Amino acid sequence: MSNDLDTELDTDETAIDPQETETINLITAVNRTLHQEMDRDESIRLLGYDIGPLGGVYRGTEGLLAEFGDKRVIDTPLSENGIIGTAVGMAMRGERPVPEIQFMGFFYPAFGQFMYAVVKMYKRTGGALELPMTIRIPYGGGVKALEYHQESTETYFIHTPGVRVICASTPAQTKGLLAASIRTVDPVIFLEPKKIYRGVDEPVPTAAYTLPLNKARIVQTGSDVTVLTWGAMVQQAQAAATDVDADVEIVDLRSLSPLDIETILDSVSKTGRCVVFHEARRTLGLGAELSALINEYALDRLKAPIKRATGYDVHFPGHDIEDDYLPDDDRVRYAIEAVMSYEF
Amino acid sequence: MAHEMWTEERPPEDFYRILDPNGELQTDPPELDEEELLKLYRTFIATRILEEKMLNMQRSGEVSLVARTLGEEATPLGCAAALQPDDWIFYTYRQTPALLYWKLPMVEVIASATGREPETIAEQVDTEDTPVNFSPDYTPIGTNVVNGVGAAMTDAFNDRDTVTMVFTGDGSTSQGAFHDGMNFAGVFDVPAVIVCQNNQWAISEPAHRQTGSETFAQKADAYGLPSARVDGNDVFAVYETARTAVERARSGNGATFIECVTYRMGAHNTSDNPNRYRDDSEQRAYWEDRDPVDRYETYLRDQGILEDDTEAELRDGINDQVDDAVERVRSISTSEPERMFDTILHGESWRERHQRAELHRELNDMNPFVDFTGEGFDE
Repeated sequence: MSNDLDTELDTDETAIDPQETETINLITAVNRTLHQEMDRDESIRLLGYDIGPLGGVYRGTEGLLAEFGDKRVIDTPLSENGIIGTAVGMAMRGERPVPEIQFMGFFYPAFGQFMYAVVKMYKRTGGALELPMTIRIPYGGGVKALEYHQESTETYFIHTPGVRVICASTPAQTKGLLAASIRTVDPVIFLEPKKIYRGVDEPVPTAAYTLPLNKARIVQTGSDVTVLTWGAMVQQAQAAATDVDADVEIVDLRSLSPLDIETILDSVSKTGRCVVFHEARRTLGLGAELSALINEYALDRLKAPIKRATGYDVHFPGHDIEDDYLPDDDRVRYAIEAVMSYEF
Repeated sequence: MAHEMWTEERPPEDFYRILDPNGELQTDPPELDEEELLKLYRTFIATRILEEKMLNMQRSGEVSLVARTLGEEATPLGCAAALQPDDWIFYTYRQTPALLYWKLPMVEVIASATGREPETIAEQVDTEDTPVNFSPDYTPIGTNVVNGVGAAMTDAFNDRDTVTMVFTGDGSTSQGAFHDGMNFAGVFDVPAVIVCQNNQWAISEPAHRQTGSETFAQKADAYGLPSARVDGNDVFAVYETARTAVERARSGNGATFIECVTYRMGAHNTSDNPNRYRDDSEQRAYWEDRDPVDRYETYLRDQGILEDDTEAELRDGINDQVDDAVERVRSISTSEPERMFDTILHGESWRERHQRAELHRELNDMNPFVDFTGEGFDE
């Protein structure tokens, strides 16, 4: 089978042509990407519920049914295990399904197919069977939603070998990373930060392009402290960085699994301080792994303990206090100030 | 210590039957010529000889686990024989006759039971294209139903006349994945045939602990699928029913669910001890009288299609084939430990590279924990 993954992984980011852009938000970037990829490759089918006439509860698939028909934009029964399981069957037959799980908290019924088929088929066939499929999942809180509509449970996916876990943080990042995810031969969990679906507009190239699936992004360089983050928290980290007495380097991980460990260690080795900033619960959140990695490979470069500005180890709380649960620019600012103030 | 045993309930026998347990026709047989009839017989015998051999290999530690088809062979055989080249089979375990009928090399069947890393087998066993396409085998029950239906959806959407056949068991019907697959099959009118190989036992649990339904076939009603219920030990009835379902699927009229009523004569697998949970001496005699191979053999002999010398010749040929496959399996080397890192994702990540190096050091009596910079190891 063709494997052009390596070239896609190494896509040069200067391929983004700033001359031809449109200013759009993140969910529109999702929509544009799906449209362009489906135009490019007839083997791409979308599956999910409410993705047809409704265009998705967040409108990510708006207009695609009319453009591509009901054999390529498939409203399914309300069955996550059925959506992922039938997508696996399609990928087994050489297609590239792009299933949508409406909310991350609805993924749990699909764990059977995820564990038994999605992440294992390539391994258990000794490499004979590839499963190119991109599972789109809106994740995260801050939208005043009902229970199971706000969580950030990427750890379950990251703990599992055989799948890439990708998270976009801006409209332009979304377009390039989603296209690359769809084109790669590996299964991908593609996390979309729904809190900022419509939060920020930015110029996005109108032409199709891909971004590397194996490289973290240095959002801004700095010399005092590294903030490791992704998704909706990237913006918050940028806001906090303007408000602290420190030169902050922000690393947008982009690939939560596998991690771009080289970039992470290089940055922390340079700054000597690190804050991990994520929405997920702290215990065994990705911050735990990042902290352990830095401890193992860069301990003697550290000028302060690593701090984790994260959610608490609780169920995602109700509307009235969700802002107190969610890490925000204040929480990350405190963490930055704490590591800056520490002296061995 | 006294164990409570399950009491078995015989399923209703008002199912479709062509060849009765005495090998006598109750109605017209399928239109199969002598060559095809002998191919079915040969596959029956090949399954028994191969699985007996694998059982012995398990006892000597050469293969890790064997789940035999003993007593249920007519179900996967009759179903598979109803397919055409280029069709698909999504199988679990206890479908050996379906594999052999469509020429999956015995070496692959045995090798997959050795517990070796799949890459090692793939590299050292020449895989051959089979006339029908096989999914990988499936261990977690129910999983293959959804995947098979998804595969069949691509045939429906692309207007291909390929048919997908999915094998499940009585226990599988309790899984959510079974429901998910059946539900999608009904909604999308997929060209699939879903077979319930009801051998009445799921390890230690009898069929009446899997469902309150009188039959498994009736489950199809809830999904808008037609169903059939057949004597799963009558290869003619199974074949005829499957053939009708396959034709229906191929002509674009959607999926069918077939319950084949049979009986698991042996243990669930070589790790199981049925004496702890079933006292089936009475049932056993009952089902031995209904053996799928015996009745078919009686029929062939009555018809003058099979005689002693042809049977002996056929058995000799199969024995040679099995022996040859076993020799080839024995020649497969064990896996290099680093194989565990193969074929997980494309492209090598930092983590994979580093952990390969750690394992390599451990295997070579070097400390794998002495990288303190992340730059790797000086050897």
